[in-house]
Amino acid sequence: MTVIPEHEFKERLDKLGFKQPRRFLINSPDDYRGAFPAVLKVSSDAITHKTEIGAVVGDIRTKGDFEDALKTMRSKFPNETIYAEEMARKGIEAIVGLIRDEQFGKLLLFGVGGFYSELIRDVTFKRVPMDRYDAEDALAELSFGRLFYGYRGLKANRELLIDLLLKISDFSVKNEFSQVDFNPIFLYENDYIIIDAKLVV
Amino acid sequence: MNLDELFNVNSVCLVGASREEGKVGNVVLKNLKKNFKGEIILVHPVADEIEGIRCHKSIDSIPHPVDLGVVSLPSVKALEAVSELAEKGCKICIPVAGGFGEQGEEGKKLEEKMREISDRSGTRIIGPNCVGVIIPRIGLNTALTSGDKSEFPSDGPIGFVSQSGALGLLAMDEFTDSGIRFSSFVSLGNEIDVDETEMVRALERDGQTKSIALYLEKISEIDEFLKACRSASEKKGIVVLKGGQTESGNRATSLHTGSLLKTSFSLRGIFRQNGIIQASNEIELIDFAWALSSAKPVRGRKVAVVSSAGGVGVIATDILEMQGFKVNRTSDQLAGKIKSMISQIGSPFNPIDMTAEATNIQYENVIREIDKSGEFDSILAFVLFQTFGVTEDIIDFLDRFNRTSSVPIVVGMIGGQYSREIFRKMTQRGIPVFPSIHRAVGALSALYERGEFLRRFER
Repeated sequence: MTVIPEHEFKERLDKLGFKQPRRFLINSPDDYRGAFPAVLKVSSDAITHKTEIGAVVGDIRTKGDFEDALKTMRSKFPNETIYAEEMARKGIEAIVGLIRDEQFGKLLLFGVGGFYSELIRDVTFKRVPMDRYDAEDALAELSFGRLFYGYRGLKANRELLIDLLLKISDFSVKNEFSQVDFNPIFLYENDYIIIDAKLVV
Repeated sequence: MNLDELFNVNSVCLVGASREEGKVGNVVLKNLKKNFKGEIILVHPVADEIEGIRCHKSIDSIPHPVDLGVVSLPSVKALEAVSELAEKGCKICIPVAGGFGEQGEEGKKLEEKMREISDRSGTRIIGPNCVGVIIPRIGLNTALTSGDKSEFPSDGPIGFVSQSGALGLLAMDEFTDSGIRFSSFVSLGNEIDVDETEMVRALERDGQTKSIALYLEKISEIDEFLKACRSASEKKGIVVLKGGQTESGNRATSLHTGSLLKTSFSLRGIFRQNGIIQASNEIELIDFAWALSSAKPVRGRKVAVVSSAGGVGVIATDILEMQGFKVNRTSDQLAGKIKSMISQIGSPFNPIDMTAEATNIQYENVIREIDKSGEFDSILAFVLFQTFGVTEDIIDFLDRFNRTSSVPIVVGMIGGQYSREIFRKMTQRGIPVFPSIHRAVGALSALYERGEFLRRFER
């Protein structure tokens, strides 16, 4: 099992037309040409849960802070690739995953994303490839899905999400993987953005 | 040989019939004798007759062919009997006794031999360890529970297949008491030949089966099973109660998807892709199957709730909204019409409360008006016989409405012996009725899931 370096996977996703924050490979502070606030990340093929160990620094608001954060990160991870992204505004957090299961074959996971996803467990698994009805059904199946009809002022765009699920289903057919995480995906009223993506082959 | 023969058995040969009260061979014989429309043939090495039926000394001394062999003998002897029945050209064999694969290596070898017999001869085997096959339309009943202590169903729309024979018979006893009827019941036992997938296919072809209920613990060929369900679900509703935890084979990794697969995997999503409605207990299993065979699929979330008891409407509304349904207010126009039909102290908005002054004719007028208005996707009517003006005569209207309305109806009831008696009459007439608020709402959810699934075929 191999973890594909994150920035490489993200570049592939760019080419396939998945929406992600603008990203820059960072050797010196001047390599960052995006807007603030920014996020600095270590792109490793070994580290997967990294908020705990300082491999991600978010909410960097000035160029000065960026330089300081980069210096600290570089000293902790002298040999790793570092990249930076524009920090996206918060949206409704969803998770979409892909997994190859011994019994059921390729499965797509969809559910509540972010910090609480493993607590709430409002998720469903569908076999891929799936069609538009399956994607609609994934939304209909979950309590979370009610957000797409509007819930207490929160609203996500249902059609865009269905298209995204179908796009990920299509990805699952054309690519080899043992697991993929798109987590979190921020959903907005008229858009979505994939904040983090990981591929294990 | 084709499993469909099971629905047309003309002759049954029981090997291992017993005179002794309480013995399996005696219970099965009594159950068979009770209603079977074809010929019953007994095989016994010494007895001349049992329960008034002449016995043959051996299988090969039976002078004519038999359709179905029921073998009530312990494992080694059962194998011999199955072999002889197969030689005789018997179409289907049901070995009743256990003592096979579930009891270790020796038993597994016996099963292997039995499977070879089936493969070679074409005789289909249901079991071994099959506690009962019931096909009410031909009066076939091989159950090993006594008719003195449990009820068996009469002919109806639900095809019921169970990997736990006992749970199946228990559930059927209970639902038969409510007047729910079945096209067939098959306990699969150890499944050396006929399995759940083949039963789904047979029930898909069977014209009398309108919905399929399956209690499953293990699904041997998941791809084939899902394919069979997907095909059958174009025509008939399928409900599955899956017992035992569903393990997925994947090793965990550090990604979230893998860890959610480990902690939260459920078949529900995959089932829904293939038209299978998942039940979470044995009551839902049969309730949903009954709903799917007696009511129309529900095509939207807007429900009109009609009752003669304010509280019932309120609780129903709470449960409905919790499950994602919408109990919208009636339009002014519709509310105005309803207001003129019901008691002045009633409420014409939704939930519609006709109060204790409700009568059959009020129910009929209000329900018809809702149907005509086109404002709702389904009607949930609580018909409460404690209400003075509500009487059994309402059954005729409910039956007619259920068959001819454009909006589907589900009926809820609450009550004791008197109401239960009417409940049975309603189910016998094919009215989708359920004996509590939450079971009625559950049935509506199943019908909604069915309606959503059917959209796939309606492009």
